[in-house]
Amino acid sequence: MAVETKGTIVSNRNIQADYFRLEIHCPPIAQPVKSGQFVMLRAAPGPSPLLKRPFSVYQRYSVRHPDPGRRGNLVIIYRRVGKGTERMTQLKRGEEVELIGPLGNGFRLPPLPSSKNMILIGGGVGIVSLFSLAGASSPEKLFVFVGGRTKEDVLCLSDFRKVTRHVHVATDDGSLGFKGTIVDLFRSEKKRFDGKDTWYVYSCGPMAMLKGLSEAVSSKPFMCQASLETRMACGFGACYGCVVKTKDPETPYHRVCKEGPVFDLQDILWD
Amino acid sequence: MVKTTGNPDVSTSLGRMKLKNPVMVASGTFGFGEDHRDFLDLNQLGAIIPKGVSLRPVPGNPPPRLFETEGGILNSIGLQNPGLDVFVNEKMPFLRTLDTCVIVNFFGNSDKDYIELAERLNEVPGISGLEMNVSCPNMSRGGIVFCTDPRMTYELVRDVKKATALPLVVKLSPNVTDITAMAKSVEDAGADAVSLVNTFRAMAINIHSRKPELANVFGGLSGPAIKPIALRMVWEVSQAIKIPVIGIGGITKAEDALEFVLAGASAVQVGTANLVRPTTGMEVVRGIRKYLLRYHMDRFQTLIGLSKKTLLPQI
Repeated sequence: MAVETKGTIVSNRNIQADYFRLEIHCPPIAQPVKSGQFVMLRAAPGPSPLLKRPFSVYQRYSVRHPDPGRRGNLVIIYRRVGKGTERMTQLKRGEEVELIGPLGNGFRLPPLPSSKNMILIGGGVGIVSLFSLAGASSPEKLFVFVGGRTKEDVLCLSDFRKVTRHVHVATDDGSLGFKGTIVDLFRSEKKRFDGKDTWYVYSCGPMAMLKGLSEAVSSKPFMCQASLETRMACGFGACYGCVVKTKDPETPYHRVCKEGPVFDLQDILWD
Repeated sequence: MVKTTGNPDVSTSLGRMKLKNPVMVASGTFGFGEDHRDFLDLNQLGAIIPKGVSLRPVPGNPPPRLFETEGGILNSIGLQNPGLDVFVNEKMPFLRTLDTCVIVNFFGNSDKDYIELAERLNEVPGISGLEMNVSCPNMSRGGIVFCTDPRMTYELVRDVKKATALPLVVKLSPNVTDITAMAKSVEDAGADAVSLVNTFRAMAINIHSRKPELANVFGGLSGPAIKPIALRMVWEVSQAIKIPVIGIGGITKAEDALEFVLAGASAVQVGTANLVRPTTGMEVVRGIRKYLLRYHMDRFQTLIGLSKKTLLPQI
């Protein structure tokens, strides 16, 4: 069950270029939150910006974590893009933020028992929501594809490299790894996944990336879930503002915050 | 010494409809109640107005449907709703369990739609009243928006009134030349109360893509940005008509609600703020109680229109 609450800033630091890592003490959300769920956060005490913004949870620490300083904490990775996130960069240890969470339906893990072949594909800040899945596979069966416009936009590489040696990187400008989109890179590597085993693909990124990916993983051996990013007002289902068009003939527009943010990629109807 | 305890009477009435307190939640900002129940005790609200319902399901507008502007939100949801049958069979059972008033907001695209809805909702148990959204195009009259034509609105409200025994609130649009003229025709047609205002037709353009921010180009502006205009309209309308007025527009705290009440509103609706802080409605009720205690007042209803009374010439 989601709660409306406050969280206390533990740390807030610039990790690279316009990206920041924010650690918040908030046990009522950190304890129950699952992979792929998100929180709505508002940093400003004043009237502007008005709405909270959705953020995926990068890491969470249980209330029984061995390090007492970490217990009940959430970690969010955010990019400075507008007024709201600009204000967030100024948050100091001990300050409070308004939060609602945990929200939405998280990722569904591969059925057990299974070979747990997993592929994580993230574009830009989208990769953040996939990190919590890394532990659900084994290092040999986990493949990670991280993309960004430039090397400055490729996130969390060192964290992924700690869990698997199969980390592939693409940048649009070729400043790091493969030159091209992350979907292009995945396509070029696709053959290695041929076989009778199912590969569970988890993805998050801009709509254009997910549209490309949906073609690349439309047939066996892939089963693909995607976490979508759309403009949201409430984050908990009340406003119907964040919808995405699906193949559902009766109710085509599904709420990303409530029915999602994770969808089977094949259920999305692209323009 | 400010009195901080006690139990002032915060009930109010909208004609025949009695509310335990004057704070309702506006249609379209509260889903069907289910989404907010994690966050607050819905029974503490004066009334719940679920998302507008139509005869048949409405898929809604293509995204993007939202854009935040300075102090407000533009939305073009397009009245997405599952239609009357699903509303009655799947949404009402939960709403009926609540110990507060449920006022059902409804809309159509022809007189016939509105009348059929009013007739059918009249038979549904657990509904305290109806709120009519008249900011929709009349498809049998070339798409003219009902509420922009006082005559058309008069006839519609008169016919809907005949179709239901439930108290009828008409929700007025601010996108008219003279909102008091609309309010008067609605009163003449027999409405039990009016609620105002609905959203302001507005837009935003992205200067980089050079396209409108909303797929629908236009949307409705709500939130704190509209409050002063809504307040002025509530002041004018409550002076022009005798039926109760419900104030809506950018209420985020008790102080905002009190301004509407002092301007002449018998009750208020919290809208956009429900999306930002789902507990806002409850906090507004609490704030109104505190205000009454602070000024040693026993009854909320004493406040209605009080600002106008202070302006009357003293004889």
